[in-house]
Amino acid sequence: MSAPSDSPDDIRLRSEIDRSLRHPVMFFFTSGAAWLAVAILLGIISSAKVHSPGFWDSCPWMTYGRVQPAHETALVYGWGCQAAFGMIIWLMSRLSRQPCRNAGTILMAGHVWNLALSLGVIGILAGGGTGMPWMEMPSFAWIPMLLSYIAITIWSMVQFKVRPQGHTYISQWYLMAALIWFPWFFGSAHFLVHGFSGSPLGAAGVNAWFHSAMLLLFFAPVAIGMAYYLVPKVTGRPVYNYALSLIGFWSLAIIAPWAGLQKLTGAPIPNFLPYLGAFAAILFAVPAAVAGINLLKTAAADGETVNVSPTLRFTVWGLVFLLALGAASLLLNSPGIATVTQFTIANYGFDVLGVYGFFSFVAFGAIYFIVPRITRREWLSRRLIKWHFFVSIYGVISIVVVTLFGALMQGVAQETTYDSLWYNASSTVYPYAVLNTVAWCFLLISNFFFFIHLTLMWLRLGRRSSHPTLLVHRHSGSPHGPEGDIDNTGTASAH
Amino acid sequence: MSFRLFAIGLTASFGLAWLSVVVVPFFKLRTPSPVSFQEGVDEKEGIYHPKRAGRVVNGAAVYAANGCYQCHTQVVRPTYAGMDLARPDVGGLSPTIHPDGIDSRRESNVFDYSGLDFAMIGNTRVGPDLMNLVPRIEARIRQQAKDSQEGDLAEGVVAGRVADYLYKHLYNPRLFPQLYWSSCPSMPFLFEEREIMGQPSDDALDVPVEDGWEVVPGDKADALVSYLLSLRHDDPVPAAMDYAPPAATDGPQG
Amino acid sequence: MQESNKPDLDDSLNVTESHDRMLREAAAVSREKHVDEGGREPVSLWIFASCAVIFIFAGLALGNIGSLGSLFDYDQTVKPGYVRLDLSEDGAQGPPPAEALAVYIKKGQKIYSSKCQGCHGGDGKGGPAYPSLAGSEWALGETQRFSMIILGGLMGPSSSGKDYGVMPSQKAGMTAVDLAGVMTYVRNSFGNEAGDVITEEMAAHALKLAEERSDPNQPLSKDELDEKYLAPLEGEPLDPTMMIDPVSLQPVEGAAG
Repeated sequence: MSAPSDSPDDIRLRSEIDRSLRHPVMFFFTSGAAWLAVAILLGIISSAKVHSPGFWDSCPWMTYGRVQPAHETALVYGWGCQAAFGMIIWLMSRLSRQPCRNAGTILMAGHVWNLALSLGVIGILAGGGTGMPWMEMPSFAWIPMLLSYIAITIWSMVQFKVRPQGHTYISQWYLMAALIWFPWFFGSAHFLVHGFSGSPLGAAGVNAWFHSAMLLLFFAPVAIGMAYYLVPKVTGRPVYNYALSLIGFWSLAIIAPWAGLQKLTGAPIPNFLPYLGAFAAILFAVPAAVAGINLLKTAAADGETVNVSPTLRFTVWGLVFLLALGAASLLLNSPGIATVTQFTIANYGFDVLGVYGFFSFVAFGAIYFIVPRITRREWLSRRLIKWHFFVSIYGVISIVVVTLFGALMQGVAQETTYDSLWYNASSTVYPYAVLNTVAWCFLLISNFFFFIHLTLMWLRLGRRSSHPTLLVHRHSGSPHGPEGDIDNTGTASAH
Repeated sequence: MSFRLFAIGLTASFGLAWLSVVVVPFFKLRTPSPVSFQEGVDEKEGIYHPKRAGRVVNGAAVYAANGCYQCHTQVVRPTYAGMDLARPDVGGLSPTIHPDGIDSRRESNVFDYSGLDFAMIGNTRVGPDLMNLVPRIEARIRQQAKDSQEGDLAEGVVAGRVADYLYKHLYNPRLFPQLYWSSCPSMPFLFEEREIMGQPSDDALDVPVEDGWEVVPGDKADALVSYLLSLRHDDPVPAAMDYAPPAATDGPQG
Repeated sequence: MQESNKPDLDDSLNVTESHDRMLREAAAVSREKHVDEGGREPVSLWIFASCAVIFIFAGLALGNIGSLGSLFDYDQTVKPGYVRLDLSEDGAQGPPPAEALAVYIKKGQKIYSSKCQGCHGGDGKGGPAYPSLAGSEWALGETQRFSMIILGGLMGPSSSGKDYGVMPSQKAGMTAVDLAGVMTYVRNSFGNEAGDVITEEMAAHALKLAEERSDPNQPLSKDELDEKYLAPLEGEPLDPTMMIDPVSLQPVEGAAG
C-alpha cells in the first residue's frame, strides 16, 4: 500500500538528508557527467581511427592504442564510478534514515579521486599506460583512488550500522555488498598485479577477473539496488515478489565472483579456469533475469507512470538492458559461440551494454530523481529530458547491435578463412567501425543535452515548483498527486 | 536476513571464489614446474627453457603503452578452443611455407611468456596474432625473394629484412601496397626525422621523406622492434607437452 | 516572504509560515511515496523457464572442461586427453621434393646432433678420448660393419688401431629411418665423400642383423666385425640425385632434378 502522504517528520527527515548531501552528490553527478562527455569524445576519436587510421595519426597522444584505453578508463572510472558514488551515498543515507555528517570529507575525497583519475588518463595518453585492460592507468593511480573510495564510502557503511531497527530493505543489501566487494577486488587485483612480478599469465588472469568484477560486482549491484528503490518508490506499487529479490541478490553474490577468466580460454592457464568462468558468466543471466523481471513486472503494473516519469523511463529501460546483458552474457559464453567471438569487438560491445546501456540508464533515472530533491528545484525542460532519452536509446542500441553483430561476422571470418592473408578476417570490421563512430556521435549529442541540463540545475537555475517535470504534459490527474503550485508563490497547499 | 548472516554469506561466497580463481592460480603460475626433454624420444636434452633475446622488457613496455594489445593477440589456442592452428602461419609455419618443410605449428605454452610481468594475451584480433610474427615475416620474405628470382637468402639477410619490415610497418603500415587495408596506426612519433649529415645512416628507413632528410628509429622504436623480433614460438617442445596427432610418417617433430 | 537569493535559509520564526515553505520547497520530497517491497505475487513462469535455459547453457559451457576430475586441477593447462586436430592442408603437397642424398643427410644431421655429437664432436673429429669419424675406414667402408658399430657398440681398438674403450650401443629408440639418416650423414660429411645413400630398407636389414646376434647387448670387437659383417647391407640402391618426398622418402614421379 502506498501512503498518500507522510508525516511532516518524515518529510523533514528526508529534506534534511537531502540537504546534507547536496554538495557531494551534485559534485559526483556533475563531475561524472563531465567525464562522460570526455569519454564520449575519446570514444569518437578512437572509433574513427579504426576505419580511418590516417585521421590525426601524427599526434602520439591520439594514437588508437592510447585513446581507446583512455576512453574506457574515463567511462568506467570517471563517469561510472562517480555516478555510482553519488547514488550510493544518497541512497544509503535515505534508507538508513541518517543525514550525512561528513559531506566535506566526501567532497574532498571526490576531488582526490578526480585528480588521481585525471593524472591517470593523462598518463595513458602520454604513453605511460600499463597495457592491462581496464587497469591501464600508471601504477601511481590505484592507491589514491582506493583511499579516496574508502573516504567516500566508509560513512555509508557507518550509516548502515546505525540504521533504525526494523526491516532492512533489499537495496541496502545490494549497496553494502558493492561497498564490501569493491575495495576487496580492486585492491587485491591491483596489489597482485603491481606488487608481484614473474607471473605473466597469472597477472593476465587477475586482470581478466577484475574486468568482470567491475561490471558484475560493482556496477551491477549498485544499479540493481538503485532500481529496487526507484521503481516501487515512483510507482507506489509493491515490489512484485519479495522472495525473488533475495534470490536475485544471493545468486549474484554466489555466481559473479567466479566469472571473468573466460577471456583467456585457450591460453596455457589451468584448463578449468576459463570454463568455470564461462559457466559463471552464463549463470549471471539468472540474477539479471530475476532482478529484471521482478522490477519490470512491478513497473508494468503502472504503465502510465512509466511513460510519464523521466526517472522511470530511464530506469525501466536500464532494466531492459540488464536483461539484454544477461542474454548477451549467455550467448557470448556459450560453447560454440565463445570460440568465434572470443577475440572480436564483442567484448567491447558487451562492456558498453553493461556500463552504458544498463548502468548508465539506471544512473540517469536516479539522477533525474535525486537532483530535484537535493537542489529543491525541478528540471527545467521536458524537451531536454526527452532528447536525452531518445538519442541515448538510439545510440546505445546502435552500438550494442552493431558491435555484437559485427563481432559475429568478424569471428566467423577469423575462424573459417584459413589463408595466410589476414585481410579477409580483418576487413569485416570496417562497416561496423563506421556505424560505431556514428553511434558515439549520437551519444555525444544526448550527453550534451544532459550535461547542460544538469549544470543548470547545479547552478540552482531549475524551476521552483512543486510540480515535477514530467515527460507528458498533463492538466489533471498527475500520478504524483494533486497539482502543486507551479511557481511556489505560496497560495496553494502542497498536499 | 541479519547482518551477521549477510556478512558470513558474502565473505564465504566471495572469498572462496577469490582464493580459487585469483590468488591460487596467480601464485601457482609464478612457479611453473619445469618440463624436461626425454632422452630417446625428443631430439633435444635438458630442461625446456626457451630463452628470449633482445630488450624484451623495455620493448614490451612500449608495446603495452601504445596499446598494441588492443588489436593483436599473443596466444595460439589448442584446437578445441579455436582454429588458430589451421592457419598456415599463426602457430608456427605449415610444411608448405616452412624452410625445412616441417610443420612447426604448436599451441602456446606456459614458458612462452616467461621474462615479462604481464602476458599480453590481447583483446581482439583486428590484426593478426603475433605469437609467431618473426617466422611469418621470414616466410614471406623468402617467398618474395623466390618470386623475384633472388633465390635462397642467407639467414643474416633474412633477419635484416625482417627488422626493416618491422620498422617500416611501425612507421606507417600503409606504405606497403599489400597492406592498403590495414588500420594499424602509424607511429611516426617513435621515429626521428633529421637532416642527412654527410652519409645517410645505416638504419635510415626506406620511407618517403623530403630530399636531404632521413627517418631513423628512436629509442622506443628500437626497443619495440627488439621485442617484436623475439616473437618466435614455434620451437620443438618436449614430448610431454607435444599434442601433435600421431604421425603417419616421419613428418611432424616430436 | 521568499528570499530569492538565499533560498536555503529558513529564517522565519513564524512556524506556520516556515512549515508551509518547507512543504513547498521540499515539494518533491513531500510527494514521495513509501517504498513497499512486500509483494506476494506468484513467481512468474517466465523466470523458471529462463532459468532452465540458462542452466542448460551453463552446463554445456562447464562441460567443456573435459572431465570433472580436472576441476581445480591447477597443473593441467590443456584439456585432458587433448590431441591436436589433423590440420594438414587440403591438397597441400607437403614439403617440395628434394634430392635423396640431401634429404637423408638432413635427417641424419638431427640424429647425429642428439646422439653422436656429444662424443664425436660437431666436426666429427672426436678428440683424445673419442675416435674421429672424418676419414674413418670403418665409417666409409662396408655398410654392415658400420651399422653394427652404431647398433651394437664397440669394445677394443678402433679402425685406427687405438683403443678408446667402450662405445655404448645406440640402438635404443633408433628407427630404420634414423639409422639410415645418420649413416648417410656421417659418410657424406666431415670431409667424407662416400656419395651413396643408405636407404631405409638397408637400415631395416641392419636392425634385423642386430636382433639376430647371439649376444645382442654385448659390444662388438674388431675381430667379430671383420669376421661376420664385412658385407654391404641388403637393399635396392638409391640414386643419390633421385628426387624424393622428404616425408615419405618415396621417389616422386616426374619431378625435375
